[in-house]
Amino acid sequence: MGRSILLSTLVYGLLLAGLVTLRAEFVALAIPFSVYLFYGFWNAPELPDLQIERKFSNDRAAPDTDVTITLSIKNNGGHLEELYLDDEISSQLSVRIGWPRQLFRLPKGSTHTVTYTIAGPRGAYVFDSVSLEGTDSLGLVRRTKTMSVKGRLFVFPEVRHLKSVPIRLRKTRVYAGTIPARSGGAGTEFFGVREYQPGDSPRAINWHVSARHAETLYSNEYQQERVADVGIVLDARERANLFRGTRSIFEHSVSAAAALSDAFISQGNRVGLLVYGSYLSWTLPGYGKVQRERIMRSLAGASIGVSSVFAGLEHLSSRMFPTESQIVLVSSLLHDDLKIVVQLRARGYQVMVISPDPVKFERELLPASAEVDIAARIIRMERDLLIRRLERAGVQVIEWDVSRRFDQAVGPLLRRPHAAISRRTS
Amino acid sequence: MTLFALVSGILLSIGALAWEYSQAGLASLSLFLLFFGLAWLFSLWHNWDWFSSLGLFVAVFAAAIGFWFELNSSWMVAGAAFALFAWDMTEFRRRLRVIIVDDQIRGMERRHIARVSLVILAGLFLVTIALLIQLRFTFEWGVLLVIVILLGIAQLVAWFRRQ
Repeated sequence: MGRSILLSTLVYGLLLAGLVTLRAEFVALAIPFSVYLFYGFWNAPELPDLQIERKFSNDRAAPDTDVTITLSIKNNGGHLEELYLDDEISSQLSVRIGWPRQLFRLPKGSTHTVTYTIAGPRGAYVFDSVSLEGTDSLGLVRRTKTMSVKGRLFVFPEVRHLKSVPIRLRKTRVYAGTIPARSGGAGTEFFGVREYQPGDSPRAINWHVSARHAETLYSNEYQQERVADVGIVLDARERANLFRGTRSIFEHSVSAAAALSDAFISQGNRVGLLVYGSYLSWTLPGYGKVQRERIMRSLAGASIGVSSVFAGLEHLSSRMFPTESQIVLVSSLLHDDLKIVVQLRARGYQVMVISPDPVKFERELLPASAEVDIAARIIRMERDLLIRRLERAGVQVIEWDVSRRFDQAVGPLLRRPHAAISRRTS
Repeated sequence: MTLFALVSGILLSIGALAWEYSQAGLASLSLFLLFFGLAWLFSLWHNWDWFSSLGLFVAVFAAAIGFWFELNSSWMVAGAAFALFAWDMTEFRRRLRVIIVDDQIRGMERRHIARVSLVILAGLFLVTIALLIQLRFTFEWGVLLVIVILLGIAQLVAWFRRQ
């Protein structure tokens, strides 16, 4: 019940008592309460007419890094004796300094600044509105208003920088890059020898071969190095990521996808990202820093999803990726994924699977017992079999023990040629 | 400052009522009021803000009973007025809890306490005048009160329908 209603009830109760008992003292007793009510209603505030601006010290941050939010509130309306402001922030964010809820006085035409510092885990946080409540000085009359003061804060996943990720593809793009293009031209690695053509540098002439032919000169040819198309697929299906109810391996997958996309973009490749969860979140392929920003934003907002439609990887259509490009699947892998991944390989894609090890991850969450050991061994055998089948189909699989840092555990394996990769990081 | 004012309000309200009841020989009622006052103070410690509304009702009811028993009206009115002050301070203290560190707190507290004190003093002044004049309950007063009460009930009904 509102305070004014409570007080009014008391006043009318006393007046009624006075009327029934015909005692003027009861009526007199109602006077202080009536004066209090009258003063409150007389000073009732207008509906707040405010102008609010939101500023972030940084709209992109690393996990658990302080970000300061400043709200400037200007009063364009009448005097507000008490203004209660509540900036609605995500429950995942923690307030480090200051407070997003404040009560203050805001005279006509003045400006008040609310500053607070927050930090939080990876995520794309939307700041939508600010709730305001103006009250009279006695708190009897309240005028509430919700103002739209939009803002977005991206907390990017932590990116572990990989030195390089060598890949070999049949098809590359026309621009110069770092991936051997299997065709002669300008480059650093020897490719072959061909007849000298006008315009060839004299330093390219292969004198040993030319000496064997009386009238013809021969030049060395180098392998062209170009950029390629890389599609990173992040598996966000709930059944592939959640263990023991709420413990998720997904954060590790996200950090792996971030490190890989950063490395591929740094090498000049055209990179796209597909988050495969309750729906398909597709970041179209692109180059450079802008694309890196787009992918990081997409990864910041990635979350586990459950959907009967996307329970399997059937919707990982080959039409999403340019033909014969590199696909990197970051997934803990499920048994029914085998068919789809092999199909992608059969269509000519180079497929690499970075698989955070779910067996070890879940094993560490369970109590030590003989039954758990046996179950872990059985699941391990099934998983080994799955990985062996994938490798037999020409898929490069790297299993990652998530207790070790991605760059330290997987980085050295990625730098080795495909055939030499030891499958497991531990 | 607010807490001090709040505790003072409770002590003065309960103290005034209990004192007059004990003076009139109604020791059991006086004891009840003292225990109730202790409970009210205890509720502050636990931040049971709802208790202040109960406290206000009990204080007003005790004052009305005191009028019925023809006790000293000054103590009764003072008891009810200080209960109103304590009730207001409880709500103000609740609102202040959302401010963590702010240079406006002191000023807001000072202004609020001064304002409420003036309002209640104005009320007490009017009550004193009314009691001094000792208005007789005439037919005209009755009609006026009926009209005011009907208006009030209509307002209450309208409010409940809006809810």
